[in-house]
Amino acid sequence: MTSTLPRPAAPATDPEAPRPPRGRTDLTFRQRLSRFDVKASPYLYISPFFLTFGLIGLFPLVYTFVVSMYDWQLLQGQGEFVGFENFANVLQDPFFWNSIFNTFSIFLLSSIPQIAVALVIAAVLDQNIKAKTFWRMSVLLPYVVAPVAVALIFSDMFGEQSGLVNNLLGLIGIDPVQWKHDTLASHFAIATMVNWRWTGYNALILLAAMQAIPRDLYESAALDGAGGVRRFFSITVPSIRPTLIFVIITATIGGLQIFAEPKLFDVTSAGGIGGFDRQFQTTVLYLWEMAFFRGNFGEAAAIAWLLFLLIVLIGLINFLLSRRIATAETRIDKKRTARRLRAHADRASQGLVGEGAGVEERGNR
Amino acid sequence: MTYSRRTRAAAAVAGAASIALLAAGCAPAGGSGGSESGEQIELTITTFGTMGFEELYTQFEDENPGVKIVANNIDTGGNARTDAFTKLGAGSGLSDVVAIEEGWLGQIMEVSDQFVDLRDHGIEDRKDDWVPWKYEQATDAEGRVIGYGTDIGPEGICFNGPALEAAGLPSDREGFAEFIGGADATWESYFAAGKQYQEATGKAWYDHSGFVWNAMVNQLDEGYYTADGELNVEGNAELEERFGWLSDAVGNDLSAAQSAWDWNKGKSFVDGTFATFMCPGWMLGVMKGKIEQGGGDASTGWDFADVFPGGPANWGGSFLSVSATSKHPEEAAALASFITEPENQVTAFNAAGPFPSTVGAQEELASAGSGDEFFNGAPTGQILAARAEGVVAQFKGPQDSVIQENVFGPALQSLDRGELDGPGAWAKAIDLLNQLVEQ
Repeated sequence: MTSTLPRPAAPATDPEAPRPPRGRTDLTFRQRLSRFDVKASPYLYISPFFLTFGLIGLFPLVYTFVVSMYDWQLLQGQGEFVGFENFANVLQDPFFWNSIFNTFSIFLLSSIPQIAVALVIAAVLDQNIKAKTFWRMSVLLPYVVAPVAVALIFSDMFGEQSGLVNNLLGLIGIDPVQWKHDTLASHFAIATMVNWRWTGYNALILLAAMQAIPRDLYESAALDGAGGVRRFFSITVPSIRPTLIFVIITATIGGLQIFAEPKLFDVTSAGGIGGFDRQFQTTVLYLWEMAFFRGNFGEAAAIAWLLFLLIVLIGLINFLLSRRIATAETRIDKKRTARRLRAHADRASQGLVGEGAGVEERGNR
Repeated sequence: MTYSRRTRAAAAVAGAASIALLAAGCAPAGGSGGSESGEQIELTITTFGTMGFEELYTQFEDENPGVKIVANNIDTGGNARTDAFTKLGAGSGLSDVVAIEEGWLGQIMEVSDQFVDLRDHGIEDRKDDWVPWKYEQATDAEGRVIGYGTDIGPEGICFNGPALEAAGLPSDREGFAEFIGGADATWESYFAAGKQYQEATGKAWYDHSGFVWNAMVNQLDEGYYTADGELNVEGNAELEERFGWLSDAVGNDLSAAQSAWDWNKGKSFVDGTFATFMCPGWMLGVMKGKIEQGGGDASTGWDFADVFPGGPANWGGSFLSVSATSKHPEEAAALASFITEPENQVTAFNAAGPFPSTVGAQEELASAGSGDEFFNGAPTGQILAARAEGVVAQFKGPQDSVIQENVFGPALQSLDRGELDGPGAWAKAIDLLNQLVEQ
């Protein structure tokens, strides 16, 4: 640090000298600048994030809440203050609950297979395979494609009358599936788009975590006779737990906000609101319909807030669960240690400490 | 960590770029550029579907050297509606000239002050150019006129000649028109003809019930709203009766239950999935695009007949409005006025098929005998001019397009797909109406 503070030095060098006057009048401009620099700079350096967040994160959040308190139309603008009436309307709206069901259904159909497959892909990529970079880049390739393009290509493939998927199913004698009319089939189709896009991305994050696991753990496990599957579950998965939790939480947040895929899956019926009968209308899509199709900003803002609260709630559940997972290992360790200590004490009381330990170790091999 | 000079330079560039990005995000997103000097101005125009204005843009640019036209075309009227409403809600971003569709004009009329009063730009001098009801539609409650009428949508019936021929039924224009009832065609006679076709071929008669329903509603004196703006769907005997006709038609397998605007990527027009189609003038351009997308061409055999069940009907038609946020309202109004002049409407018609709303253009098309090669040489201009006779404007309420697309759309799809019977589908429509439309 460049700032030099004279005061502590003064009494040591010359006790007779007059005490410097209180305050900082004796500091030069440069010194003051330098002191200011030390104190203020860190805040300045992190301020862009907070300013940006305030501008495009916090302000809209608060403003949305304000809007949700009013009768507010897209074209006519702000109307009367109505309190929580918009929230009450939304909560009584069957379409809202339909959208919540669809969101969860698509979320579960996408997140669970996505993370499971990503884990397997990452484990495979973590092996000594040829042309590593090629494979790693390949799994990320779908992520590079814009979601809109993905949605357009897949909605074509899942066409009901002459889509690729139904044609292939026809080859093995399966009747055409009503991908855009049947609720479950449409959820599956949309989950496929989400999975296609995100599996590789998650796999790479998990791979990065796997690479950080010390190799000697695997070597000694292999020496101890642990097979590939055993090593995966006993070493790989526990070691990447924090990363796994990160992936699960981001997948949750993303999964609850799916929009482009259902919006573009069937653009032609009923103005693209997620199926003519709202078979695959997610909550964000319902929000869009409310705001920009039906022009009711007040209720749309209420939906936005309810969705926000829902995501916070699920985030909290996730957090608690993941804390349990994170502590599970230590709890098992503690139990194991306690058991061993008890056994040790038992043996000690029988005067078999040294030999017994040796026998046990040999027995383990 | 040691930083090389290059890293630091890169970091500086990255930092600067981030700040630039932030700044760009805050920059006003104005619709029109335009320079201060006023010598070279840029006019933006947003249209939808196939309006056939491209040639006119070039012509206008040639005649007005200082003007550059930046045109944006949106695929369907529904998407154009979303686009316009979103920009109106945001308070900026509308282009100088905006095409507005009749179906959502009712909603636009509630905020008509967002558009320039064209009486300030001399539209009153041209009042007699248009059919009277078109001009009336663009006039708001205070008498402001906010749109230059472009096209109207008189409906005829498109039919596939080879499909009818294969069924041993009349396949020429006149014969077909007689077959479904001629000048006195009713929905009953149209469906009876369909039943005959269906029994002969096992194939559907029309593509899906939504368009037929649309035509039925549009040809009533009052549609979803009464003339003085009251919502009038529940308990409306006229509507319920027509819904029953459709339900019977679906029961006879006359509907192909297609997804509108998709038609299996146009293939359904080509592979004989259905034989007839509701055709307002502007639909001819849409249809042509879809047939080509589906791999067909003129030889696919679609034709256009001078007949329509239940009397004259109008579906759609558009207006060109000048947004109040336009920086060059004078020039924008001049462009919109230019495009809607009778002789230029004829140009647009020849390019894409939207039927003109000006009397002069209609007269010209009625006398010109040139046929449309794509539609088996049908004199589309003459036919549409004949179909336009007797069309009366119907009052369009603020939620008209929502009721059409999101109330009756889903109910009719359920009907088409056999998921609900007639009364069930009607009940579903009423249920949706109560959910979606505040009354």
